[in-house]
Amino acid sequence: MVGDDVVITVLDVRGDVVRVGIKAPRSIQVHREEIYRELQAANRAAASPSDSAVRTLAGLIHAGDKS
Amino acid sequence: MTAVETLPTIDFVAPLPGFPEHRRFYLVNIDDSGLVFSLTSADDPELRFLVVPPPPFFPDYTPEIGDDALAALGVDEAERLLLLLVVTAGETLRDTTANLMAPIIIDKESRRAVQTVLAGSGFPVRAALSA
Repeated sequence: MVGDDVVITVLDVRGDVVRVGIKAPRSIQVHREEIYRELQAANRAAASPSDSAVRTLAGLIHAGDKS
Repeated sequence: MTAVETLPTIDFVAPLPGFPEHRRFYLVNIDDSGLVFSLTSADDPELRFLVVPPPPFFPDYTPEIGDDALAALGVDEAERLLLLLVVTAGETLRDTTANLMAPIIIDKESRRAVQTVLAGSGFPVRAALSA
């Protein structure tokens, strides 16, 4: 059960192998593209932080380290 | 102390979105805590990502890794995987976030890795690290 808008068609059956076609509305494809773009942007924002930002993160770790 | 050059590389079976040219990375300790690592490009040491394992930061984070991702790494069970979250370090703690929506999964045995996208999971791309 994939959803009301998604149509799955059996195209071919050969022994154990079933070929299916999946027709999904454009909105799902666009959604996936949006997610990918968002992920690209997030990775780029995360890339190569400054040394001071790294120190901030290390400080966060040790601040929680109360033994 | 092991020189970075002698560390075995982690090989991404698909590149990180946004960085199509980089597939080989080293995982380097940032400090002694074992909680923060630098995922540094083997081909360009200027490129690195700060990554953390989910616990202790997100103790309840137990994402379901899809079969596609497992197949991409050539494993059939999630138990062999190391999970790492990409951190966007801000200048203050409040601006520091981890990406729960797209964790990096690494097969400990083969050192193959991929950043898998948990679309529709509801996990945020930017989850505050300071609880």
